[in-house]
Amino acid sequence: MAPIALIYNGGWAPYVMSHASKYRALIDLVYVHDIVPGSLDGYEAVMVPFNAHQKAMKALRDEVFTVLGRGGKVFVEGNSTWLDATWEDRPVNNYWWVTDPTNPPAAVTDYDHPVYAGLQPRHACWHTHGIYTAIPDHARVVQSNKAGEAVTWETSAYGGTLLVTTMDPIVEHGVQQIRHLDNYVDNLISWLCGVRPQGQFDIDWQVGLAA
Amino acid sequence: MIALDANDRLLQGVMVSNGTGREKGYVNGPLVDFRVAEVGPDFTLDLDGADVLLVPNGCDSIALHKVRGSIRAFLDRGGTLICCDGWVTPWVPGNEWVMDNQYRTIDVRYTSRSDKQGVLDGVDIDALTFRDGISGWWACGYIKPAEGAEIVLEDSWGRAVVVVDDASTLGTIVMTASGPVGPWGGYADDSPSDVAINRLYRNFVKVAQDRKRN
Repeated sequence: MAPIALIYNGGWAPYVMSHASKYRALIDLVYVHDIVPGSLDGYEAVMVPFNAHQKAMKALRDEVFTVLGRGGKVFVEGNSTWLDATWEDRPVNNYWWVTDPTNPPAAVTDYDHPVYAGLQPRHACWHTHGIYTAIPDHARVVQSNKAGEAVTWETSAYGGTLLVTTMDPIVEHGVQQIRHLDNYVDNLISWLCGVRPQGQFDIDWQVGLAA
Repeated sequence: MIALDANDRLLQGVMVSNGTGREKGYVNGPLVDFRVAEVGPDFTLDLDGADVLLVPNGCDSIALHKVRGSIRAFLDRGGTLICCDGWVTPWVPGNEWVMDNQYRTIDVRYTSRSDKQGVLDGVDIDALTFRDGISGWWACGYIKPAEGAEIVLEDSWGRAVVVVDDASTLGTIVMTASGPVGPWGGYADDSPSDVAINRLYRNFVKVAQDRKRN
């Protein structure tokens, strides 16, 4: 058993990311429609990628929060509508680094957070998929845009730590169109399970074909 | 310009949804009367009466592998599969998608190789290569096409990124190497790239319409 469970929606990008040689031993794909009570037992942490099946995640909320309840960590990215928060879609700006390279979509970042420690601004935010217009009273904002709206937030009120962002490091790292995401994702994996991934993002596609 | 005949009745279609809410743009479009098949536990796929099966980017390869027999039967009765996704299980008959990151996206350029069915009519290929001046935004990896399939668009290294396959089944499979087409979530604007992927989608539907006529 790997230390991290990735709740898997069957899509190709999280598959590619989790099967890269540097992450393979640290992440188990747990298919979202096969999860039953107890499926997440034993995992130190859970990751929920961008474009998760929202109806399924609403049904699995208690399972995920059980991991938090026993002190685990949960990382949720992208367009999540199943949390105690309100997500709102916004146009995606993929070209700010060409037109306005000193102003990433996240204008303010708490670089004291372990996931952001040591990152350059462009490594800390490549693009966002919307913002949160409401977050729990007990949460704190880790990243916000120029208007002060929450891009990334965190709370420990459920027991462990829940870190939520509208960015998409898991999916985008699988897509491999942005090649600097090792910086963010390696910090994220290290924060989730205490093991820092090593090496390059290598794809052994024969692994994919064997699925 | 591709002209869809206004006197033709709408095509009947099934769109596979992965429950993200990002595929809604297809449903009320003017070209195909889609019903939505949302993936869930014990997923089945009813393709009775359908002319087109649309699998947009980000679909569930595990669920689609479970219903591959239904998809094959649909194709063998003359249906058209439009797959604009990467697939990590072998549910697409005869063809294989391969993820690969050995080349830099800055070096990606697309060129037409062959286009017997007008898939690229009116499509600005440069707008598939570049978006906001940045190359390599559209497809990921490449397709290993089936024997006899037509490679419509290839990348800088001669690898297929748009394929039309009339050979593997009695129907037609139109594929991109995960490049989104049509009103896919996240690309709803009037940019040249958005125009290009909507034109490409319209041409894919035209392929299905021609197959239904013939």
